[in-house]
Amino acid sequence: MKKSNDVILRTVAKVASVIIFTFAINLFFSGHHNPGGGFIGGLAFAAGLTLLFLSYDIASVYNNSMLDFKVLGAVGVLIAVLTGVAAMVLGKSFLTHNVARINLPLFGATQLATSVIFDIGVALAVIGTAVTIIMSIGNDRQ
Amino acid sequence: MEAILKLSLLLIVLSILATVFRLVRGPSVPDRVQALDMLGFLIISTTAIFTIFIRSTAFFEVILLIGILSFISTVAFARFIERGYAIDRKSD
Amino acid sequence: MNNLVVLPIIIPLITGLVLAIFNRQIRLHRLLSLLATLSISVVAILLMNQVAIDGPQILQLGNWEAPFGISLVADMLSAILVLTTGIVVSCCLLYAFASIGRERELKYFYPLVLFLLTGVNGSFLTGDIFNLFVCFEVMLVASYVLISLGGTKLQLRESFKYILVNLISSFLFLVSIAYLYGMLGSLNMAHLSARVAEAGQVGLLIPVSILFLIVFSIKAGLLLFYWLPGSYSAPPAVIGAIFAALLTKVGAYAIIRIFSLIFYHDPQITHSLIGILAGISMLLGAIGAVAYWDIKRILTYNVIISIGLILAGFASFNQIGLTGSVYYIVHDMLVKALIFLAGGTVIYVTGTSKIREISGLIQLHPQLGWMFFIGTLSLAGIPPLSGFVGKVLITGGTFQADYFWLGGIGLLTSLMALYSLMKIFMNCFWGNTELTPEMEKGSTRGLLFPIGILAALTFLLGLGAEGIYQYVELAAKGLLDPGIYIGAVLGSNPIP
Repeated sequence: MKKSNDVILRTVAKVASVIIFTFAINLFFSGHHNPGGGFIGGLAFAAGLTLLFLSYDIASVYNNSMLDFKVLGAVGVLIAVLTGVAAMVLGKSFLTHNVARINLPLFGATQLATSVIFDIGVALAVIGTAVTIIMSIGNDRQ
Repeated sequence: MEAILKLSLLLIVLSILATVFRLVRGPSVPDRVQALDMLGFLIISTTAIFTIFIRSTAFFEVILLIGILSFISTVAFARFIERGYAIDRKSD
Repeated sequence: MNNLVVLPIIIPLITGLVLAIFNRQIRLHRLLSLLATLSISVVAILLMNQVAIDGPQILQLGNWEAPFGISLVADMLSAILVLTTGIVVSCCLLYAFASIGRERELKYFYPLVLFLLTGVNGSFLTGDIFNLFVCFEVMLVASYVLISLGGTKLQLRESFKYILVNLISSFLFLVSIAYLYGMLGSLNMAHLSARVAEAGQVGLLIPVSILFLIVFSIKAGLLLFYWLPGSYSAPPAVIGAIFAALLTKVGAYAIIRIFSLIFYHDPQITHSLIGILAGISMLLGAIGAVAYWDIKRILTYNVIISIGLILAGFASFNQIGLTGSVYYIVHDMLVKALIFLAGGTVIYVTGTSKIREISGLIQLHPQLGWMFFIGTLSLAGIPPLSGFVGKVLITGGTFQADYFWLGGIGLLTSLMALYSLMKIFMNCFWGNTELTPEMEKGSTRGLLFPIGILAALTFLLGLGAEGIYQYVELAAKGLLDPGIYIGAVLGSNPIP
């Protein structure tokens, strides 16, 4: 039985996964006017988590994150649908979005749109689904 | 300027053909994995030169994403070749 | 702008998601899922009354104007179908409380049924053809998981075939939407209808309409039904009942909507083709129902006969035939659920599904026997039960449209369907009682109540046909006159 010697991979993964997570969040937030958005942000995040799954095993990642990823997926879709319902409660059609144009101190003139909340829901749903699939195909060491 | 870009694109295309030859012909699996990784780098170079060509900034995220995914997939392939499985459920 | 239209879609979606988060509390699952289906029925009744007064109810998602945004359209046909879906799924859920078993309940059974209901209601209520594809996919993916839930060998084998056939049909659906969009430039059904009326159904539009017919025929079981008997007999009785009552009807609804709203200009080609397909499937379904001696096979071949009859009524394309078709869809959803649940109870109690091995159940389970008998009579079209009105109107419609052979095939296959179901009844329920109470594999406690509700409903639907007739007639009138639909969706704006 080979003893695993993963020192190089683990060191690289510790640094690279943080970079990948940051890039995923950047992709997510630039989705309104540039290429990006919820779907690809969620998938890049799942790719970072896959790197952690590869270098460490599923059990340690799961114990350190303490999240049931199926529930995360359901919570994501729930946030997205409740965004639409909030528009309904306020008297407009389902899924009507609103934009607020304000001046933030550091960033200057920005647009805050309610579509971002919808996109957060989409990103969480994608992360939950992708990580559930990867965790299901992990192998048992015989 | 445009001529240099077109020439470099042509040379990269020749490299891609050579890599595909290695992908098809490689007598062992690590050869093929190496060829796939190199194909990823060549696609990144093509995209970068193309970005200069059309003077747009739209493809930068594509370049970064292809790099990330190519790295992760090469690591997964390497673990698979070494051990017979890619992701471990519980290691000691 | 009527926000009530989106409620039948988001109520089961939100309930299913909340149940998926709290996975371990089964009582909460049962309570919330039953509440969701009952509230959908109430919303559908409200919608029906609004449509009867005001015409089709529209909701533009995101406040984007038609035809640039997605419209949700509740006209009378959709509202009737949503109401029937809510009632049928409520009864199936009541049956599932006692029969599905703890193991499957813990594996997200109730959220999956609610997601299936989301897809079905979305398909009924949408006015945009790509949204129809999306809701079809939601419904299909939920059904893929439901058909393999529990993981027995038979289920896994049949789910493989089911998934493969539906994958191909979804691919063809996408290809035909792509062709349609390339030719006509829009995805909104009302806008497409206006453009086809302007341009005439010429050139490539006829093959594209036939492509749509192929896609929905695979889904509904119209001549391309070879995946149906295996796939509907593999899962447990409740899931088989939900599939038989809902999924094929969504395919039939899609055919009716596309060929009465968009492609109605050439009835000699398209509608007579639908009539020929309906006639052949009725004959093949009847031969299958008569030939087998296995309860599940007979019931699934009866599904094929009914789909043929519904589309035969549609192919005649006059007021009487369409009224009969709409009436028969409602009756068929109720009665299919009834006989599938009753047949499932018989299999559960005796442990086998072969008719030759069962006999004399009526001594021990008289209610079950008589309710199955009511279902048989209703399906065969015996007055005063609900099948009679539907079959009379469909046959009248086909005779009026000079499709005498189609009406004749409809009557002949009704006779053969009656024979096949009476075969089950007489062999399983009459005869010497071989089964003693100790030999039974399970009890029927809690299983007879939902079957009783469905039997009472088919009585009510038959006796009270007069009261429902005004709604059904409005539905048929809306199908024959697309101007009502287009006017409601595009409003008074000039058509872009």
